[in-house]
Amino acid sequence: MTAKKCTFSRRRFLQGAAAAGAAAMLPCSLLVPGKAEAAAFSEGDYQTFRNACPRNCYDTCSIKTYVKDGVVKFIEGASESTYTDGGLCVKGYSYTRRPYSPDRVKYPMVQDGRRSGKWRRVSWDEALDMIAKKMLKLKEEDGSLLGLGMTKYSGNFGITNYGVEGMMSSLGYTTRFVGTPCWPAGIDAQNYDLGNMWCNDPEDMVKARYVIVWGANPAWCSVHSMKYIMEAKRRGAKVVVVDPVFTQTAAKGDVYWQPKTASDGALALGMARHILDKGLVDEDFVHNYGLGFDEFADYLRDNVTVEWAAEQSGIPARDIMEVAEEFATADPATIWIGYGMQRHTNGGASVRSIDALVAMTGNVGKEGGGARYGHLQTWGFNYHALIQKQPEGSKGFLGGAAKGEFDFTSGSGASYTDRTVNINKTAQAILDTTDPAIRMLWVSCKNPFGQDFDRPKLEKAFDKLEMVVTVDQFFNETVANSDIVLPVTTLFEEWTVNASYWHYWLSVNEQAIKPMFETKSNIEIAAALSKKMNELSPGSCTFPQDIDTREWMAKEFNQGIYDMFGISDWTELRNGPVKARLKSSAAWSDKKFATPSGKYEFKSELCEQHGHKALPEFKVGREGYDEFRLLTPHTKFGLHSQFVNLDWMHEYNKEPYIYMHPKAAAEKGIGDLDMVRVFNKVGEQKARVKLTDNVAEDCLLMYEAWFGRGNDYNVQNLVDDESADMGAFKAGAPGVAIHDQFASVERA
Amino acid sequence: MKKQYAFLVDTERCIGCFTCAMACRNYYHQVEGVVWRQVHPLSEEIYPHRERAFLSLSCNHCENPACLNVCPVEAYTKREEDGVVVHHQEKCIGCGNCIRSCPYGAPKYNPVEKRAEKCSLCHERLDAGLDPACVQACPTDALQLVDLAEFERTNEVQYPAGYPRMEGLNPSTRFVLPKTPKMVRR
Amino acid sequence: MQSMELPLVLFTVFSQAAIGLTLMRVVRTTADGTGSGDRDARREWGLIAGLMILGMLGSLFHLGHPLYAPTALKHLGTAWLSREVLFAGMFTGVTVLAVLVAGMTGRPWLAWLGTLLGLGVIVSAGMTYAPPALPALNNALPFAFFLTSAVVLGAGFGSWFAGEERAPLMARIFTTALVVGLVLNLAAPCVWLSGGTVMRMTGEAWLGSGFYWAHVAVLLACLGAVWKTRTVPAWLPVLALLGELAGRAGFFADTIHTAANMGGLY
Repeated sequence: MTAKKCTFSRRRFLQGAAAAGAAAMLPCSLLVPGKAEAAAFSEGDYQTFRNACPRNCYDTCSIKTYVKDGVVKFIEGASESTYTDGGLCVKGYSYTRRPYSPDRVKYPMVQDGRRSGKWRRVSWDEALDMIAKKMLKLKEEDGSLLGLGMTKYSGNFGITNYGVEGMMSSLGYTTRFVGTPCWPAGIDAQNYDLGNMWCNDPEDMVKARYVIVWGANPAWCSVHSMKYIMEAKRRGAKVVVVDPVFTQTAAKGDVYWQPKTASDGALALGMARHILDKGLVDEDFVHNYGLGFDEFADYLRDNVTVEWAAEQSGIPARDIMEVAEEFATADPATIWIGYGMQRHTNGGASVRSIDALVAMTGNVGKEGGGARYGHLQTWGFNYHALIQKQPEGSKGFLGGAAKGEFDFTSGSGASYTDRTVNINKTAQAILDTTDPAIRMLWVSCKNPFGQDFDRPKLEKAFDKLEMVVTVDQFFNETVANSDIVLPVTTLFEEWTVNASYWHYWLSVNEQAIKPMFETKSNIEIAAALSKKMNELSPGSCTFPQDIDTREWMAKEFNQGIYDMFGISDWTELRNGPVKARLKSSAAWSDKKFATPSGKYEFKSELCEQHGHKALPEFKVGREGYDEFRLLTPHTKFGLHSQFVNLDWMHEYNKEPYIYMHPKAAAEKGIGDLDMVRVFNKVGEQKARVKLTDNVAEDCLLMYEAWFGRGNDYNVQNLVDDESADMGAFKAGAPGVAIHDQFASVERA
Repeated sequence: MKKQYAFLVDTERCIGCFTCAMACRNYYHQVEGVVWRQVHPLSEEIYPHRERAFLSLSCNHCENPACLNVCPVEAYTKREEDGVVVHHQEKCIGCGNCIRSCPYGAPKYNPVEKRAEKCSLCHERLDAGLDPACVQACPTDALQLVDLAEFERTNEVQYPAGYPRMEGLNPSTRFVLPKTPKMVRR
Repeated sequence: MQSMELPLVLFTVFSQAAIGLTLMRVVRTTADGTGSGDRDARREWGLIAGLMILGMLGSLFHLGHPLYAPTALKHLGTAWLSREVLFAGMFTGVTVLAVLVAGMTGRPWLAWLGTLLGLGVIVSAGMTYAPPALPALNNALPFAFFLTSAVVLGAGFGSWFAGEERAPLMARIFTTALVVGLVLNLAAPCVWLSGGTVMRMTGEAWLGSGFYWAHVAVLLACLGAVWKTRTVPAWLPVLALLGELAGRAGFFADTIHTAANMGGLY
């Protein structure tokens, strides 16, 4: 220690010498002092911009971007948002790399032979010429543009990206893939029960005295929500996590329940029965603000017992009773209903059962309470890019079109419409649709080969298509199955605006750097295509041909948005994100529901009309068709097929694994880290296995991800396109039973 | 005691999300293969569930740093004002002695620069009154910056299981241990 | 697992051979106080200096920035590597000087000085390669390994210069050092197996390593050869050198660093 002190004092002395500037002039480097630290950080050295993460994520983070010499140097979470709170997530922080990624699609390219990898660079003009000529040919041969399909979903939720749909409308009536693989069964369930999907402000979870996280894994999929759950816990709330997998969120709770997969409805109804028996029902709420509670109570008494629920779910009766009583007596108590638990053939019914549990305890409309699922309250934009008029004389589909959950347009009243097909059966729709068949496909903000179900069938379906155009940032599997790829901008290279389906903050997304290489934003691509179409056939496309993307972003705002967020102009968002001015942090705080009766509908006639039960009755799940249940949830290193492929992410996530219980593995002679083959009626996938009791003995788990870099891992080789029970009402097509999948495994 | 900045790693709050690790990369753009902050899962002997509790580690800014002591070219300094151990890369000759000697693996070899490098606790941000990039990024405040001279807690430990005990170095990082929930399984 | 560190392998083994030769030169010339057996001083010092210069040059390839190697002398206060560089530099200087001033008879004081500096090199190298990060080696083992290598190689190559009257002495020392080396090398990994996790991992890595077994096999073969011929055949030191090189490669490649087990039990 003394010796060290001595060295320090010597170094100090030399530092003094350095300050005098003497040492620096000495010829011998041995005498250069030890201190040569970087200068203190100064924000003034950078230009700063406001960005927003446009991915399909609860958190929709507000980003502050630091640019120097036209290059993004680093980013951070906006400190103005109490939700983002200065920090992003592992995915968000990788954005700094994204525009400069060596793997990026840089130019329009044409592939000579799908999956051949023989790509050649072409000019935008050549690419658009090929595309436009094909479109005109379809119109000429089919008499309409219905042979042109468009599939787009959540790859970029920036509002101006609805210009992709706008571009399609501006060309004529086309075939649209509608619906969502994400959350539709739950949306319908909440619409039947409450009249809309509308959740409390997540920031008010801190007020909850009891939190049940049911089939959600915010520790991976909504990291910024975890601090509210932790704060509620610190203030004395009990946190119960219900999930078939022992998730990271479960590890942070007080109690973890591992029920049989898809038995959530039974579990909720068993709890409801016990609450009823114990006289813990909120009589004021169920009778004054509820409809049909007595019939629901009769259903419970006649058909449900705690023991039955225990048998169905595998959770012991005494635990069900204990948690039910605690939940019913805590005030307020809340349930976060995850999207995972509704991706089942009985998913919508399960969500309705859980809604009923929250409602019968009087926790709906209460700050710190609520059946939290999602909301679209802050999405009242103009959808200027979306709403485009078809060219004069366009022919379309007769018979009406379904609408997606983000479609806020009112009907046009025209007799023709687009033709809609189910996005969750992309492969089947391409194979089945006739008169005219889908001959050409436009893909944007989506990676069907990474996300759509039954990948082997999808490959067959794509092979039937005469032309596939994909707009993307990376050479993913969908691009590999395309003829033309068009390079699209990253968040730093375009203007747009972003809202969340979970929290209540609004962020502008400024263009922070010039688009790299030859990339264009979706609306710029639309404008360029329009120019080409009109060159070849005047009047064939109504999309404006010269657009200013900043202006188009500004056109999305209206007085309603300004009033909701308490701003007078969008430019105020350049000072940081703003939060909606809520009269209460609780959804439905006035207890006026948007149902036909205006009440919370324990019994929904609308639901019955749509082919389901009027009451939130138990619905049996899908019959198993193979040895193990196969779960393919989100990884923490990616969002669907985005992020995992990036070189920066590979530093922390080297390869994909299959997760399996050690006992089940022992029976198969499978050891930790062995290479295994998972297979079922759809297809097969190989990867190494990690043994863990985080999964149940009858379960295999693989995280969905596109790894890139020559790795063929794709869980869609094992997931079929079976529909969920609900979703068609609000999302245009039923959801998909992603977690009702089964498979076998063996050593590879 | 003199001021000593230190990382407090609250593994009870840590969700192993790797945000801290990527925030560091976002700020310093380390070359491929070089990781200053890594998130290490605890083995099942320590936390009974695989990959569900973690130690987020970078440089520990030791009281008696092995890297500093063994560096033949004096490329390391320990700041008097806050105890931060700074690596001055321009002086490094790439001998690898610090890499071999630090039991926590904090210094890494940069194959492009052909020199070592490590976390210097964002000292240039500290000097501007800002948090280190990783601490600012942590979504659950599981990673915090504390001054050991003023730090008052009772439940933190210096050597949790899964972290080498090196009393001669006296690493400054402190830890709060993880918890497990009540498990109800079928 | 770390890399083989070829430059360090060459530097440590060659320098230890040189130091061992110098030490044996002292032993030979002072064995009975007559100073006999010193018939070929210039060639021997030439070999010593050559080995040392080769080792020093080799070590430069280990550096990211070899041109700045001299700055490694800066931190004599605490860094054993700086001290190692200093000792090695001075030792090299002595050997070069010895070559220049050596006639057919050497100058004993140079051998004495060289031996002292050489031991300084071995002590400081022993400290440099015994960091807390390598629990299996965070002790006197590196020093012991290095010293035995020096004596094995010194006695082995020394026999080239020993003449008939000193050859049996060299053979005896060579044999003893081989036995000590064998015992050390066989005992160390076995002891590690009962240590903490990283020590145990090191023991397993060594016992599973081709470098390790090649080294042990060479030590045994050398013993066998000496036992059979009762002398040190001229080719034997070369075999011993190859064995030491293999052993040293394993020393660097197969010793486990504490950071490799972060998150596991220690």
